[in-house]
Amino acid sequence: MSPELKFAEDTLQIAALTFMAVVYALKVRWILKFPAARDRQARTGRGHTGPLKGATYSLAAIAMPWTVLSTRQQPFFWVQFAIFHIAVAASIGLSFVIPYAAHLLENQMLVFGLQALFAAAFLVGVRRLVRRIVNPYMRAISSPDDYFSLALLVVWFASSVLAAPPSHEQREWPLLGYFWLTAFFLVYVPFSKISHYLYYPFARWYLGRTLGHRGVYPVERGA
Amino acid sequence: MSRTRSHKAERVIERMRQKVTRQMMLSLEACVHCGLCTDQCHYVLANPGDITYAPAHKADQLRQLFKAHLDWTGRALPWWVGARSVYSDAELEELKDTVFGKCTNCRRCSLACPMGVDMATFNRMARGLLVHVGIMPEGVAVVAKDQWEIGNQMGVLPEEYLETLAWMEEELQSEYHDPSVRIPVDKPDCDVVYAINPREVKYDPRTIAEAAAIFHFAGEKWTMASVGWDQTNFGLFNGDDELGGAVARRVYDAVAALRGKKLVISECGHGYRSTRCEGPNWGRVDVPFEMESAVITMLRYIREGRIQVDQSKNPGPVTYHDSCNIARSCGLIEEPRELLNLVCADFREMHPNRAENYCCTGGGGAMSMSEYTSRRLKSAKIKAEQLKATGAKAVVTSCHNCVDGLFDLIRHYKLDMQVKQLVSLVASALVVPEKPARAVKPLAGYKILVIDDEPDVRVYLRMIFKDQGAEVIEAPDANQGIRAIKSENPDLVTLDLILPKMTGEKLYWEIKKDERFARLPIVVVSGCIGVDAPRIDFHRFIAEKHLPEPEAILEKPINPEKVLETVRTVLENRKDRH
Repeated sequence: MSPELKFAEDTLQIAALTFMAVVYALKVRWILKFPAARDRQARTGRGHTGPLKGATYSLAAIAMPWTVLSTRQQPFFWVQFAIFHIAVAASIGLSFVIPYAAHLLENQMLVFGLQALFAAAFLVGVRRLVRRIVNPYMRAISSPDDYFSLALLVVWFASSVLAAPPSHEQREWPLLGYFWLTAFFLVYVPFSKISHYLYYPFARWYLGRTLGHRGVYPVERGA
Repeated sequence: MSRTRSHKAERVIERMRQKVTRQMMLSLEACVHCGLCTDQCHYVLANPGDITYAPAHKADQLRQLFKAHLDWTGRALPWWVGARSVYSDAELEELKDTVFGKCTNCRRCSLACPMGVDMATFNRMARGLLVHVGIMPEGVAVVAKDQWEIGNQMGVLPEEYLETLAWMEEELQSEYHDPSVRIPVDKPDCDVVYAINPREVKYDPRTIAEAAAIFHFAGEKWTMASVGWDQTNFGLFNGDDELGGAVARRVYDAVAALRGKKLVISECGHGYRSTRCEGPNWGRVDVPFEMESAVITMLRYIREGRIQVDQSKNPGPVTYHDSCNIARSCGLIEEPRELLNLVCADFREMHPNRAENYCCTGGGGAMSMSEYTSRRLKSAKIKAEQLKATGAKAVVTSCHNCVDGLFDLIRHYKLDMQVKQLVSLVASALVVPEKPARAVKPLAGYKILVIDDEPDVRVYLRMIFKDQGAEVIEAPDANQGIRAIKSENPDLVTLDLILPKMTGEKLYWEIKKDERFARLPIVVVSGCIGVDAPRIDFHRFIAEKHLPEPEAILEKPINPEKVLETVRTVLENRKDRH
């Protein structure tokens, strides 16, 4: 293994993760500066739910596409979402597995599965990028960061496909590319829309707590 | 070179800094611009291709401002994350057009958002920022001013309100041939204080009478307040939390002053949400009494057997429109359906329904913004199609804005359909209990005290009551009257208001403030309730003294049938309660 790869998969990743953690710590401090609104109203609804149930339901809705109107109507969109985000988690996991537990990747089926997942996520990313460019509604709400974040992930998924097989000696360039992209991804995330994963659980929690308290969540659907 | 910012733009930014809460900033940051909210909005569906109606685009108006002034990246690299500040009054006017004219704050997009971004809350906040600097549609300004200054959003004057209640009371008494059907005002210590929408006074007083009939036949101890009776709240629509808090507190204070046990809110979507849910937050007050929608009250009366209904009295096919504020923001979803199934023979759902229903298009204060009427009616196409598909002949809703919005769209799209409220259907389905057969001498066993300074009147009343079997005692003035009450313990008093030495009003006060006689039924029989001394003065007297209303008020000259009917009903009701 070259010193460049050794640096990229270890020291660089630790530095990037440390940077991300520091920025996130500052972000949490920033979030806490905003006053939390207090809900004084007495509970409404039929008593079948409450703030905790509503908040839990709201958080779990991400995995229950049938409960949210938009994803129920567009199940394929939700499938894309699932592939995309599972691939993100898997690719981040891969950045730890390669340097510290490479033996796990000796299983060819696992490697093939990961490659298939990254390839599928790559296609989803391309599709979403095209949608964002072609659809006038999407264009109207997209900022440069929206395009760049998506493009970054598309490239990262492509590099993940190439990085999955554990062959440091023969295939250093794909790995170097993957680890440098990963480091950039980690540094860039806190400043981009990708940091939604930090915010959305809280946004969902608060909305769910309020709507649970008011008897709206879990949403009851009639005939 | 930095751009100069107008004074109003400066104030808008400053206000935003003060108003953004943690919940809101997390929601603002969570949006990923996935676009899944786009086709959940009735405006988008009715205006395909117009990106300015897209919920995320509308929400971005506030998000861009937030990013430009409060978000890290937005301040460092605004163009990169789409941050944009406001500089001119013209930009604020553009913002007004979006947040007031292209969104009804119905919250459908919020519920459809996979990230839980509450876009309707952003829109309301953006409205509030503009209202803070005086930028809003004229209709919104007028209504908000009325609510601040006159105390209700339609500028109903106290006389108009009280006269309407008196008129409806007379209508009810005539309809049911029962003078004991009352619309009490400022009666303290009631189980229910009923608050209404001023639209009911102005345009639809029949709904007040219908509710009164339901309370009466349910045997409810209820009242309306002479002040703080408007449960609507334009603070919800114009985003002004201060107005919202002040209006809500006015209602809460009225209930507290009357020592009411429960506030019942008439069918009004935004009024219910504002008074029941948002008011305590805006007003920063912990409300010490219960509050409920009249829908729940009516359903409870039926469940408890306090009123009987016959669904065959409403035979036509009806559908139900969920008011956004009631269903999507307050969870009042199944109760109206349960009630409809009890009072209507043919109830059919529209689709989608419940929390996923489409807006009536009249919400969010849209009915007061005439400049956006054409947009509103165009966007109503979705609702019109929904309604038509049901095949119903009437659409029922629990909201006055929905009534107006639906009425407009039904007329615009030429649908063969009426708009009704649940209170009307319940009232028309009421099975009025038959009065017990009259005994030969129905007042036998009762002791009645007649207090009147005119000997002829005393003799006349004594004759009427004695003929019906009552024992009659007479008193020519207040002092003898009070002595007779103490010594004879009568079952009922008829009281003249003009008496020597001490007026009937004062005597009424003496009786009611004495715990031993506070529950003694009093029927006021007086000639000073006419034009020269309006009946309203007696109401004012008892309101000022926080006294309960008398059981009945009858005018001289005496109508013997009416007097007998009244006294008999009062005594029967009293017997029932014991």
